Amino acid sequence: MKKMSEANDQRKALHDPNDHKDRVELTRSRIVAESYVDHVRTAADGAIVTFDGCVRNHSHGRRTLHLEYEAYEPMALEKMREISMQLHEKFAIDRVAMVHRLGRLEIGETSVFIAVSAAHRAPAFEACRWAIDTLKRTVPIWKKEFFEDGAVWAEGELPPPPGAAPSAKSAS
Amino acid sequence: MPVTTAKVLFFGRLKELVGVSEDVFELRDGTAIEQIFAHYAARCPQLAAFRSSVVASRNREFACWETPVHSGDEVAFLPPVSGG
Repeated sequence: MKKMSEANDQRKALHDPNDHKDRVELTRSRIVAESYVDHVRTAADGAIVTFDGCVRNHSHGRRTLHLEYEAYEPMALEKMREISMQLHEKFAIDRVAMVHRLGRLEIGETSVFIAVSAAHRAPAFEACRWAIDTLKRTVPIWKKEFFEDGAVWAEGELPPPPGAAPSAKSAS
Repeated sequence: MPVTTAKVLFFGRLKELVGVSEDVFELRDGTAIEQIFAHYAARCPQLAAFRSSVVASRNREFACWETPVHSGDEVAFLPPVSGG
């Protein structure tokens, strides 16, 4: 474990998210997409790809009333920062903005928003897709779904075992 | 072996099963995460039923069940994640 955390420290030192001017946040307020899009927009970019994850009014055939999200907040932020660092390693992109909302969300509201800018569109599309798929598998955030006849914790995904490189094979 | 304490956190449905989100656990230095989980599972059989779908972390990094826990560590038990 010690060796692994040393490697992590080294990676963090080499790829400080501040160097990339990325913006990674958790919030309990309404997500204003424009502010995140503006954050990644620079004169060097020819493309910005965004993902807007929003609250659906049904789940497994039942009508959803609202959702509540909770997180292991410090670890969730660390995992989201790791994702943004990995995006720069994997794709020829410029900036990343990534925010997840917590607390009670109503139908139609944005729960997660990701914006990626790049000189060219292909890496921006690929990076944005990889970011949301990896977030859904590795970031400690949980969703509780409220229905007319009760509430359930959403069926989640098991994060990869310690030491395994995060991948984004399955997405729901 | 000196007795010390670690902070233990539960999230999502695990928090509801155990009835607390946070606990202070007395342990011998080097106790494995598995043994900490077993302590709570013994008091809460429903928690034991979730063992195969629980992932653990130590000091905010995913950790395997054999990981030794030391004084002041923060251990968390995480149900399958469902953000997004």
